[in-house]
Amino acid sequence: MNLKVNIAGVELKNPIITASGTFGFGREYSQFYDLSVLGGICTKGVTREPRQGNPSPRIAETSSGILNSVGLQNPGVDAFLKNEGEFLKSLNTVIIVNIAGSTAEDYCYVADRVSASDADMVELNISCPNVKAGGIAFGIEPKSVEAITKLVKSHCKKPLIVKLSPNVASISENAKAAECGGADALSLINTLTGMAIDWRTRKPILKNITGGLSGPCIKPVALRMVHDAYKAVKIPIIGMGGIASAEDIMEFMIAGASAIQIGTVNFYDPNAGIRLVNELTSLLKNSKIDDVNSVIGTLTDL
Amino acid sequence: MRLDLTAAEPLPFIQAGQFLHLEVPDKSLILRRPFCIYDHDEFSVTTYAAIVGRGTASLAGVKPGAVLKAILPLGNGFDISKYKNIGFLGGGMGCAELYSAAKAGAAAGKNIYAYFGFASKNRVLFESDFKSVAKKTVICTDDGSYGVKGYPISELKKDIKNLDAVLICGPHGLVKSAGREFENEQIPAFVSMEQRMACGVGACLVCTCAVKEGTEIKNKRVCMDGPVFNLRDIVIG
Repeated sequence: MNLKVNIAGVELKNPIITASGTFGFGREYSQFYDLSVLGGICTKGVTREPRQGNPSPRIAETSSGILNSVGLQNPGVDAFLKNEGEFLKSLNTVIIVNIAGSTAEDYCYVADRVSASDADMVELNISCPNVKAGGIAFGIEPKSVEAITKLVKSHCKKPLIVKLSPNVASISENAKAAECGGADALSLINTLTGMAIDWRTRKPILKNITGGLSGPCIKPVALRMVHDAYKAVKIPIIGMGGIASAEDIMEFMIAGASAIQIGTVNFYDPNAGIRLVNELTSLLKNSKIDDVNSVIGTLTDL
Repeated sequence: MRLDLTAAEPLPFIQAGQFLHLEVPDKSLILRRPFCIYDHDEFSVTTYAAIVGRGTASLAGVKPGAVLKAILPLGNGFDISKYKNIGFLGGGMGCAELYSAAKAGAAAGKNIYAYFGFASKNRVLFESDFKSVAKKTVICTDDGSYGVKGYPISELKKDIKNLDAVLICGPHGLVKSAGREFENEQIPAFVSMEQRMACGVGACLVCTCAVKEGTEIKNKRVCMDGPVFNLRDIVIG
């Protein structure tokens, strides 16, 4: 039975990748299980300079989900490469470095640095809604998506995945724009902008006021958007949004994803990665599906 | 509310001040919540918590025999090995966080001095447990309905010459006043902080608090770099 998938020329041993912002640089969860079982790891977003992120509180829980406003707290690309590079390489899984920035120049700086490293792929974060100074500006309008993709692509020697925001008018238009800009693959969806209120104090729970919604409650939105993007482009799609079970993985792949990412589930099940690899293997075996690739984009009309 | 939990397998070593990360019965709430490890032995953990929202409310209604998943022990805990006469400064439910260190300290032959503050008589908790391990236990109430009227920090300061270190846990106001009162004192002071958490294991960067590091201010993880920090390093708003 084959679980291997190929994204833009990079082979992953299975479709399961851990999502940026939920897995640090792998150190913490490596204490729960051997991370080499994963198809890949997407690192926390790195920026040109070290960032402290947003003030606390940075989380509010909702029914079947969470709102986060962490912001891009990270050590900066140079410290990241110096201190985490060796460790990530030792994990024996595909390493996707997520990059972010406030200006086009910043993105290029980071892309240049990561291109010179051992990273397998780069994921371009143009959609994080938590940073006021930038990020969100790039990922909203299709023209902007195309422009930043094109610019970063010219600085990026690794296969480039563009991570799309769902907080847009048309996910299909943005998907096409990223493809036109030269993206080698797409990943979606990032978090949905939301809010939580403490009625007793009459204040927002998040210090940042708004945050990004993730977890099981966003799965229907994510599925719809993966399907729309799949119809719009030819490049491979990595789907994410509330995935917590092997059945969820199947749904995203049927909708058009060639691989998936798991994020919020890691918080309530630290062994989600290894559990899902095993559960997906069992599901395919019991369904007599010999090759996971045969599932991709097989949604049939009613 | 008090929760007594029995582990399915023997627990690892638990340092006083480390915490428990426990799921709640309401399955629409996906996150675990952090609770103090008030007391423990090889197979069991006791925690105390205030009922503050949907998660803790669902825990309050849990039936005996219910099975819940948890990760423990987490965080750095209190290291009191170097000190002999230790002051404990607590307020409200924060006092629960201090008990395991008081009990362990007393068992190791240290002298425990406890100074706690509560809003009023009907909010006083843990007094008899602390009295069983402490040389001196002072209970203060804001309204004077029980014990000393006033704040525990004033009582602790009267004895400060006899103390080698202070452990602190309580509401924002207590921590802030401690920061002020100890600014000109040399005594080592450690505070157990709290913050809304997601993963609890240091990966997600949700639970940070501002901590001085040299000339800079960094956002440190309460779940992993803490919850115990040097009082003088905490940036208290």
